[in-house]
Amino acid sequence: MSHEHERLVIIRHAPYSSNALREGLDVALVAAAFGQTVSLLFLGQGVLALLKEQVAGAPGQKATLPTIDMLEMYDIDQLLVPQSTLDALNLQVTQLVDGVTVVANDTLPELVQRHSYVMNF
Amino acid sequence: MEYGLLVMGAPYTSAAPHSALRFAKAVISRGHQVAGVFFYQEGIHNASMLMTPPQDELNMRDAWIALHQEHGVTLDVCIAAALRRGVMSDAEAKRHGQVHFNLDAPFELTGLGQLLTLEQRCDRMITFA
Amino acid sequence: MLHILNKPPHSEAATQMLSTLAKGDSILLIEDAVQALLHADWQGWNAATDVNVCVLKEDAASRGLSAAALNGHATLVDMEGFVELTAQHTKILSWY
Repeated sequence: MSHEHERLVIIRHAPYSSNALREGLDVALVAAAFGQTVSLLFLGQGVLALLKEQVAGAPGQKATLPTIDMLEMYDIDQLLVPQSTLDALNLQVTQLVDGVTVVANDTLPELVQRHSYVMNF
Repeated sequence: MEYGLLVMGAPYTSAAPHSALRFAKAVISRGHQVAGVFFYQEGIHNASMLMTPPQDELNMRDAWIALHQEHGVTLDVCIAAALRRGVMSDAEAKRHGQVHFNLDAPFELTGLGQLLTLEQRCDRMITFA
Repeated sequence: MLHILNKPPHSEAATQMLSTLAKGDSILLIEDAVQALLHADWQGWNAATDVNVCVLKEDAASRGLSAAALNGHATLVDMEGFVELTAQHTKILSWY
């Protein structure tokens, strides 16, 4: 499968601690709205954005989960998580939202290389 | 070759704006062009007219303006990221019922789509965060 | 692909960068990443075959690490070299 002109957005920051996660997801949504094929790779703490039991944060702090739920509407259906990230955070894939694809650690170099546009958030 | 820069660090908080500015100047001195800089996340603070560093420190906003004036580099600021952090133009301040504004030309408030447009136009896109 | 790292060599950003390295990639260490000069055993120096690791000379000098650079196996580049690296690689990914 060719991934020419496809975009990979790497999410590396946890929800609530900063706005990096939300503003990274915004880039993914806008790119998808522009007709680009977008995949998301959740590395390290970024995977915490996918925990399905998340609830709203401190009063007034916007939750991330509704944005994750919205991704499908924008045809962003590739939610990739490396096995090493799950291992490092003692997480099981069953704790994450539906539709997550766990990828082997040794596929990461090829995954990053094959996308035309790669951005870290 | 045409370059685009994405700046996501705030001046006086992060080294990112300094690295980005030095890089932009080096790109130009090597005979390439810097088409534009897009300010996102904490990078939007680079546009604040109210930044007033001590005299022995670089005024980062002035440095970006000089880059624009001397080399035609566009200075785009993500409007959503800027408004929520209290950086806005006269027009946006009026629209949102604010008494003051702290962003004006050559900085332009624009949507995230502009970042994608810049990326597609340029041969290279480099993030400083 | 050119990877630009600006966080210390044992940071999460550095570890994540190393996990995505492929043959033929280059690494440029800028800002706090130049601290890797203090760690001769840093994984990144010998991360993969054909990975070229460069250090931004100005950032090493401003942090007092020029002498450390001379002892190591790093390739020092100035800002012109930084631009040259970005011209050589069509894809550039920053880790921060």
